[in-house]
Amino acid sequence: MDLHYYLGVDIGSLTTKVVLLDEEGGLTARAVHRSGYRGGETARRLVEELRREQGLAPEQIIRTVATGYGRVTFPADREVSEITCQARGMAHLFPAARTVIDIGGQDSKVMRVLPGGRVADFAMNDKCAAGTGRFLEVMAQALEVPVEELGALAEGAGGRCAISSVCTVFAESEIISHLAQGTPREDIVAGVCAAVAARVASLAARVGVEPEIAFTGGVARNRGVVRALEAELGRALLVPAEPEITAALGAALIARTLS
Amino acid sequence: MKVADEPRYLPLRSSRHLGRTMQKYYLLMRYQHLWGRPLKRPLAWVTSGAPVEILRALGIDVFYPENYGALCGARRAAVELCRAAEAAGYSQDLCSYARAGIGAVLRPDLAPAGGMPRPDLLVMCNNICGTVLKWYEALAGLFNVPLFTIDTPFIAADVEEHAVDYVRTQLRRLIDDLERFTGRRLRPAELERRVALSNQAVGLWCEIRDFCRHRPSPLNAPDLFVHMAPIVVLRGTAGAVGYYRRLRDEVATRVRAGLAAVPGEKHRLLWDNIAIWYRLYRFFRLFSERGACFVTDTYTGGWAAALAPGDPLESLARTYTTIFLNRPVEFRVRQMVELIRAYAVDGFVMHANRSCKPYSLVQEEIRRRVMNETGVPGLLVEADMADARVWAEEPVHNRVQAFLENLELRG
Repeated sequence: MDLHYYLGVDIGSLTTKVVLLDEEGGLTARAVHRSGYRGGETARRLVEELRREQGLAPEQIIRTVATGYGRVTFPADREVSEITCQARGMAHLFPAARTVIDIGGQDSKVMRVLPGGRVADFAMNDKCAAGTGRFLEVMAQALEVPVEELGALAEGAGGRCAISSVCTVFAESEIISHLAQGTPREDIVAGVCAAVAARVASLAARVGVEPEIAFTGGVARNRGVVRALEAELGRALLVPAEPEITAALGAALIARTLS
Repeated sequence: MKVADEPRYLPLRSSRHLGRTMQKYYLLMRYQHLWGRPLKRPLAWVTSGAPVEILRALGIDVFYPENYGALCGARRAAVELCRAAEAAGYSQDLCSYARAGIGAVLRPDLAPAGGMPRPDLLVMCNNICGTVLKWYEALAGLFNVPLFTIDTPFIAADVEEHAVDYVRTQLRRLIDDLERFTGRRLRPAELERRVALSNQAVGLWCEIRDFCRHRPSPLNAPDLFVHMAPIVVLRGTAGAVGYYRRLRDEVATRVRAGLAAVPGEKHRLLWDNIAIWYRLYRFFRLFSERGACFVTDTYTGGWAAALAPGDPLESLARTYTTIFLNRPVEFRVRQMVELIRAYAVDGFVMHANRSCKPYSLVQEEIRRRVMNETGVPGLLVEADMADARVWAEEPVHNRVQAFLENLELRG
């Protein structure tokens, strides 16, 4: 008898993630790829590759849920907001989490969640991507450091350079002038991480922070931001091993509940 | 009558009558200088919270730039008008009604519905906000006409008698000033008649709003927003009474027939703040297509306060001073909590309207308190009432969808 699988697809502004769960809800496979300008296409390709890798017939994927900004471009059984999916995915990974912070490519959001993953309240950044993945990408580019290495670089900081601009674009100019003055890159990166953490902590305060606090989204891979956020919130954070796929995981879990 | 399977918008027959009524009003206003002058009827521009009963009693016709701003928003003309005002140096952070209004004066070629008729005088009451004082001062300068102001002190806690007295004194002085301006004496019986007419319309409007307590609600918020125009611009006239009598009858028929504004009504919602005029139906469809109906709101309720019997000036002073926008957070929270209970509301949506500071700046606090007190989820959506440049479709859709998913999970 052929086994059944559930698919979660998260088409984000920067990256597309797909997660495949088996009937018991166990993680079978996952994939991440840059979205490009046709996230739907990217998702379809990723799913095809995954399916072939696992040796599955298309009919074996019996339910699909799509989330993320590009969710309407993917043929799914249901499209669900990433707020709902993220809360669901993180509740699965961290049942003790009551506050979930998610910093993605251009979104930062904070959710207060109830046991089981239902969202009690949420807050998101509005019309401004300062403090998101995009902000870090821009800074990494200005510092000529791969964005994945920002965290490691921050570890070597002797001091912390304050960044006063609230706008990503103007903050980049600030960084360039710091570099010109000879400020060590490590210190600048520490300042960048602190700026992100401060912004997110304000957002979190709006919904009310309740322990345990979990932190996910692509930016959670940045150890510098994790440490800065822990310092801001005065608490250790629960961080998943693969933060970028947690919303897709939540989508797949929801797919498993669809009749 | 067969109810459709899919939730859709149920139009009111009265909407056609609304169209004719407002068209007639704007046409009359456009040519007021032609028919008004021989009758010695000056034209006043007034703020939405101005005590118009006094003006009507003195034979002064009234025009509402704020209503015109809403019209510009709905007709998608506001952006160009705002840009005209901004080009003249007015800040983009100002209220979009003010910017559109000033833009329409500076660039009448961009102004819809024949533009705004030139005023002979201006009457401003700052019960709704402080921006109107500066807006009307600018207009006084642009038109070189007299500006009459009524200053209503902010009610920080309880209504104090000295505040009402202060406003009453100003109303007395306004009457003296307007008598001088018009060359007419105010007849007390005429003022009483105008107050009675306001009250009749208000009573009918309250009935109409109250009908929405019914399950399912006969009306959705867009209906209320659209049909509130006469209660603003025709306040104190027999026309308003006739209008709302007809609407009340149609809504009563709907209730008797059990007709729902949103067939298959699943969620009953409360709306806070002014409507998003340039996106009225499309925005509310995000909700109605999922069976969510806005059964009540705080904005159209602003015109649901009756004028108390007794001395008309005392009554006018009290009513115009105590409008909800002139009240503290506690009052606004109470108002929402009461609406949630009375209308059996499952969730609420607050429009953080960039233009309207008194309405919007406290919303985060109100939202928190209302959620805590009622346990009902509330969503804050950032936009603007008339300036469509502030509208960001995807972020709004995202938040609305998350909110509706949450409501659906609650069952």
